[in-house]
Amino acid sequence: MAAAPLHELGPAGPGAEMAAASFALGLAGAWSGQAGIIWAAEEGVFAEEGAPYPVGLAQFGIDPARLIVVRAAQREDALWAAEQGLCAPGAVVICALAPRRKPLDLKVTRRLLLLAERNRARCILVRPLDEASAAWTRWRVGPASSRGEAKELGAPAFRVDLVRNRAGPAGACFTLEWNAHARRFDELAVDLSAASEHGPPDPVRARA
Amino acid sequence: MLKGVDARASSLGLKLAMSLADARAIQPNLAALEAEPGEDARALDAIAAWCERFTPVVVIDAPDGLFLDISGCGHLFGGEEKLRAQISMRLTAQGFANRAALAPTPAAAWALARYGKAPVVSADIVQTLAPLPVEALRLDEEAASLLCRVGLKTVGQLLSAPRSSFTARAGEQAMLRLDQALGRAPEALTPRRPPPPVFALRRFLEPLFSVDTILEATNTLCADVIEKLDLRGAGARRAHLHLFGVDGRDRVIEIGASRREREAKALMRLFTEKLSRAAENLDAEFGIEAARLDIIQLERIETAARTLVAVEEADASAEKISALVDVLSARLGPQRVLRPKLLDAHMPERAVAWRSALNVPPASSRQDGGKMPALQTTPPHDGVMRRPLSIFARPQPIETLATVPDGPPIRFRWRRVLREVARAEGPERISGDWLGGEPTRDYYRVEDKNGRRYWLYREGLYGETQAPRWFVHGLFA
Repeated sequence: MAAAPLHELGPAGPGAEMAAASFALGLAGAWSGQAGIIWAAEEGVFAEEGAPYPVGLAQFGIDPARLIVVRAAQREDALWAAEQGLCAPGAVVICALAPRRKPLDLKVTRRLLLLAERNRARCILVRPLDEASAAWTRWRVGPASSRGEAKELGAPAFRVDLVRNRAGPAGACFTLEWNAHARRFDELAVDLSAASEHGPPDPVRARA
Repeated sequence: MLKGVDARASSLGLKLAMSLADARAIQPNLAALEAEPGEDARALDAIAAWCERFTPVVVIDAPDGLFLDISGCGHLFGGEEKLRAQISMRLTAQGFANRAALAPTPAAAWALARYGKAPVVSADIVQTLAPLPVEALRLDEEAASLLCRVGLKTVGQLLSAPRSSFTARAGEQAMLRLDQALGRAPEALTPRRPPPPVFALRRFLEPLFSVDTILEATNTLCADVIEKLDLRGAGARRAHLHLFGVDGRDRVIEIGASRREREAKALMRLFTEKLSRAAENLDAEFGIEAARLDIIQLERIETAARTLVAVEEADASAEKISALVDVLSARLGPQRVLRPKLLDAHMPERAVAWRSALNVPPASSRQDGGKMPALQTTPPHDGVMRRPLSIFARPQPIETLATVPDGPPIRFRWRRVLREVARAEGPERISGDWLGGEPTRDYYRVEDKNGRRYWLYREGLYGETQAPRWFVHGLFA
């Protein structure tokens, strides 16, 4: 999965937007290197979920010194900023879009994919799942209960469904926990009941 | 009292400082307008602004004069004399009676413009200035009359008189003014705008109308400016592009770079972003007749030897990010492209500041000279987040059911959805800024039964007169 240039994440339902955004941050944290993370989001996204809080980001494992946040007034600006960000080799670009009635044109996601491929950068697109997209993998992300003693909170946990996978079969559902020290997701549970027949992909272990 | 007379009036014998009654006696049906020094000053400033299309160094010589330093600009107009003639002609066309003089020093130019016959200094400056009266040296009345009384009425006479034979007062000022006129002593003038250290100016025989032609011209200016910067071993940080319209207006496009820019291509990229955005607002229906690119902030470049490949790669990456920041800021505005800065502050919302990425060099948000933040900013030992990933600028009020006096909520309603709490930790007491009179907050980290995690706080303690209020301040992963 790490090799793919464009991924798409969507919230599993209303109220799961934060989970999708945080999952994107986790992936970005796992993959980012020298070039850092560029987070291009529409203003509507910040109104819905709150503005990024660098203290929390640092605890999560994201280096604030290598983070650039672009607050775009319009969707086109956010997409344009994401495209520009993908021209920096090694960068991880998160592009977060607010829900819109008109779905995103396939050309737009294809352009993101091409730019990411050409420059060895990676793009994570976070938006409500629409129909057509050029992304290699698409995930539906929702919150999951954390593992903690008694009533205590544990490490951040997510429930993700692999909705589409260009490199293999789809349909598997994972419960993942974010390990901030190692900057990776640990697998807590796997549910393959909805997976297609060719056998499950193992995107967690396939991550470098 | 008359403050100004036009050519016709003065030919009829009306003079400055004459009273209106006397003037009316000479010419009963003269048209008299009330003097408005404020308006005149504004008009002079407007003319000075218009002159910026010839040179960036324009000095206002109140109440009715301007100095233009045209060193280096003459060649664009076919020579300095042609430039002088053109400025004078265009001012006349706009309805301003004027006299323009060209000289190697400001003092000599002033003298020629006000008292001289020919507008240009001939090869020998002494010869040109000699026949002018001593008033042409900008002496005060006392000094001038003193000199006249001792028989020194012209500049030529002043020059040939021995220096030591004057009284201290009249003599020193006169000598200084004389030296300034001849270029022997410096004169400090304050231009209307601080002159840019490096600039390039071009004028167009045909006015430019389309954005494409303007971009082409900007490209040439960028190349000119980079040449000049190279000679100084410097790179550009901020630049202003002035587009001078035939209608007299000056439109300014500003760009900033987060690192010293040495490539014309990179500068051009930033201008292209800005110009494409501003194209509709340019409103150049009469065309652009000249353009000037000012570098208003530059920095010297020290070339350091680089030995490690890894260091080079890191630098190349940093350069790319820096260029990216410049382009994003040029199109979207610097306040929309941000880097975080951690601060040492008690209230959580104040522990962070967002700065324009143009001003914050990469990988330095921790190295501020001040204190390190007291909050934990590395992943906690047990991997459990203590601070949320996002916070709301204005904490959002919620209704809660909680155990008194300081238990976490059992359930709460936020955005019209009732949420059942499955896990909770707290309270973490963060006392308010006692100077500002802000109440204490007890923060709780709370997880609902769907796995959503919130950062809530209760403001105020139970038992106080007002019922305490609860808020959602942020969200965890």
